[in-house]
Amino acid sequence: MKLEIGRIYIKDIQLGNETSVKNGVLTVDKTSLIAKLKEDDRIKDVKIDIAKPGDKVRIIPVKDVIEPRVKISGGNNGFPGVTAKPAQCGEGRTHVLYGAAIVTVGDIVGFQEGVIDMWGEGAKWTPFSQTYNLTVDINVVDGIDPHTHEETVRLAGLRAAEFVGQAGKDITPDEVLTYEMGSIFEESNKYPNLPKVLYAEMMITQGLLHDTYIYGVNAQTILPALLHANEELDNAVISGNCVAACDKITTYQHQNNSTILDLYAQHGKEINFMGCIMVPEHTTLAGKMRASDYTRKLVKMLGADAVVVSEEGYGNPDSDLLIICKKCEKEGVKTVLITDECAGRDGMSQPLADTAAEAVAVVSGGNVSHVVTLPPADKVIGNAEAIAVLAGGWEGALLEDGSLQCELNAVIGSTSEIGYHNVTCRLY
Amino acid sequence: MIITNNPLVAEKYENVLWTDGSVEKTLIIVRDFIHQGYELVSHPLAASLRMLFSPYRSIIINNKKEKLNFEHAQIIEDSIIKYKKHMDLRKTDEKTRDDYKKIDLLLLEAALSEEKGKWY
Amino acid sequence: MSDGFKVLYYVNQFFGQIGGEDKAGMKPEFHSEKIGPALGFEQLLKGEGKVVGTIICGDNYFNENKEESLDYILNLVKNEAPDIFVAGPAFNAGRYGVACAEISRAVAEELNIPVVTGMYIENPGLDTCKQVAYVVSTSDNAGGMRKALPAMANITYKLGKGMEIGSPEEEGYIARGMRKTIIVEKRGSLRAVEMLIKRLKGEEFETEMPMPVFDVVQPAPAIKDLSKATIALCTSGGIVPAGNPDRIQSASAQKWGKYDVSKRDALNAPDFYTTHGGYDPVYANEIPDRVAPLDILKELQKEGYIGKVHEFFYTTTGTGTSVSNAVKFGTEIGKELKEAGVDGVILTST
Repeated sequence: MKLEIGRIYIKDIQLGNETSVKNGVLTVDKTSLIAKLKEDDRIKDVKIDIAKPGDKVRIIPVKDVIEPRVKISGGNNGFPGVTAKPAQCGEGRTHVLYGAAIVTVGDIVGFQEGVIDMWGEGAKWTPFSQTYNLTVDINVVDGIDPHTHEETVRLAGLRAAEFVGQAGKDITPDEVLTYEMGSIFEESNKYPNLPKVLYAEMMITQGLLHDTYIYGVNAQTILPALLHANEELDNAVISGNCVAACDKITTYQHQNNSTILDLYAQHGKEINFMGCIMVPEHTTLAGKMRASDYTRKLVKMLGADAVVVSEEGYGNPDSDLLIICKKCEKEGVKTVLITDECAGRDGMSQPLADTAAEAVAVVSGGNVSHVVTLPPADKVIGNAEAIAVLAGGWEGALLEDGSLQCELNAVIGSTSEIGYHNVTCRLY
Repeated sequence: MIITNNPLVAEKYENVLWTDGSVEKTLIIVRDFIHQGYELVSHPLAASLRMLFSPYRSIIINNKKEKLNFEHAQIIEDSIIKYKKHMDLRKTDEKTRDDYKKIDLLLLEAALSEEKGKWY
Repeated sequence: MSDGFKVLYYVNQFFGQIGGEDKAGMKPEFHSEKIGPALGFEQLLKGEGKVVGTIICGDNYFNENKEESLDYILNLVKNEAPDIFVAGPAFNAGRYGVACAEISRAVAEELNIPVVTGMYIENPGLDTCKQVAYVVSTSDNAGGMRKALPAMANITYKLGKGMEIGSPEEEGYIARGMRKTIIVEKRGSLRAVEMLIKRLKGEEFETEMPMPVFDVVQPAPAIKDLSKATIALCTSGGIVPAGNPDRIQSASAQKWGKYDVSKRDALNAPDFYTTHGGYDPVYANEIPDRVAPLDILKELQKEGYIGKVHEFFYTTTGTGTSVSNAVKFGTEIGKELKEAGVDGVILTST
């Protein structure tokens, strides 16, 4: 399977009367985009805005982040199985508006959080302060049930990304990255001496606001599935997860899964990277046992020497992570885990629960309870009231000067468990 | 059996043990059942920190077995420690309690749908 | 002209140049001059800080009169109002280490003054203070003074100047157990892949989340016939005979006690009370059996449900007691019980 990702560098973004990329400036035709999104009659109202790195702008509450792309050859444009007819992802050529992102805003439930600050202290903690963001704020018609509401906003974001991505259709990319891998037999013959490595990517799959989709299939219903590494990099996986702001995997992070990219970079050099196992995180213990057994089985069937396991979320998924770790280590398969931790506000609290002697190699994405102080913004995109929700729950969170103290927990992508960000914890 | 402090769940389902108290109290009742030999069907905790702030939680347990399930005892004990670690510092999110009610119910239903057609 | 930041120094009778074991009973004293390690210490502060005095106290005196000593010393510190408090280094000296640790903790927690001390990693005082003080890791004997003082002075200097203290590796202190959130150059996935490759090559790698290691204790086999078994009673709830004859500490216990209860039916008040400083003692003092149920055990003996209650009752306080001391107590008590032919132990905590 061979995939070419053509990156078109985006250096600025603006709203205008056409959708185009000229000299790295992305222009979006707001009126047409709104008209396009409103084809969905569940949508009452759409607000489009932009937020650039350095702007004193806060976006809240963020639902999802999506990278705008266009398919040049091979497969179908958009998100096959969701916004386009089913097709093979991971082949042919895809153009990416590199540096731009669609950020969907809109609260489906009142307690939704997820903040992106484009400047200052807050910007340090989220990777999406560095992208030129087109925000899409969706209001749905009255009387809609929560499932439909979530679906409407999810699809609107994907369709907006598809719409904006068209601007890259006839542009010569600044850079073309090639991802090519043969069958696992071919690759193993090519690199007989390299250790075989799989990536087990856990996904929250637990019901409304807690879902992930692969080719449009709700992953709650699947057994762990083997994917070619190219598929996820080419729009096969999308997020329907609206909670766990700090450690959820947004659609953008699926499209640019850093663990896949970093494993790919070592393929044929230090390791033989064989692919991804997509592991659902169930709420039931039976589901957890089934998924972890099945993952172990795939790892053994494919003869892997090692597996990188990444988590999504916090709480019950911690159990899955350690069960998978234990089962793989017991089979002699070496594991490296990526997770985040809760060490309390002051970092002095020790992770007493959920430990396993087998978890000897763990990467930490940081302390979800680390407190950050976010100064007041000049402009809030989305729902300013959501700021109170974000701060809510403890005294002294809103300071006199309008600054807001919140835990990293509320910041989108801050403690990424696929290792997308640069935060970690050290023992002091 | 569903152990819950969520009135929506109590209204909709039979075979519910309504706890009329906090999430912590609900977890402790679940723990007591597990110590008596019942088994967990669903995990005591949700999948994100934000859901820990929910004032409502519903947990499914199974029939009483002859022997204590030590793994499940460990899971519920660890969950209580983890829950307390966060909530000793923080209050439950009361402003949006109605939304939490709904989502707790929907997540419970997702768990129940996974358990359909099973006999063990 | 400012004199820079103020440092107050604590040493024991030996490093305070008063004398050896024979002077270990001396009461705490304040000297306005620099004595012992405090002398060289000031020179290491790059002219920015000043040692304003030395507190000297005998190790035995401190350990035997802990509350009184602490009160006195805290008052001294309050009066001098230093910017930083420095104690030791105590190396592996047990009593000195405990004194440095207790004082460090009190100064840090009650007066909110930053504290720097130094200890060998196995010093029994370490667990008491490492969370609240910077404890420089030293060798196990005073031969390490030359290495310890500059490290302690460097941290003191940075604290005095309001500079950020680096990682334990950089600064030479024993990790306080704090998980500090930081931003690093390499993203998480890259660190994971690098860790993976090291692990696959059999090279050394360092996990970012060391899992706490717990002792796994194999449960003893079940007692087959309770009606013939001797059962001992043991508590970490601090129940002691009135007057606390062995002076078991109310917190951070350094010792345990054993008391003959063969002639008693219960641990009743006022013959017994609790010395434990970690919980509300009202209910325990009303009926000490609530913490260590000798009454029930004796009833069970009368009924013939158990064979016999062991003649001695063992006790200590669990609050703040270091793991190393707890392990030591357990081993010592266990050995005695085994030798006495005890079959089982009821162990109560609070």
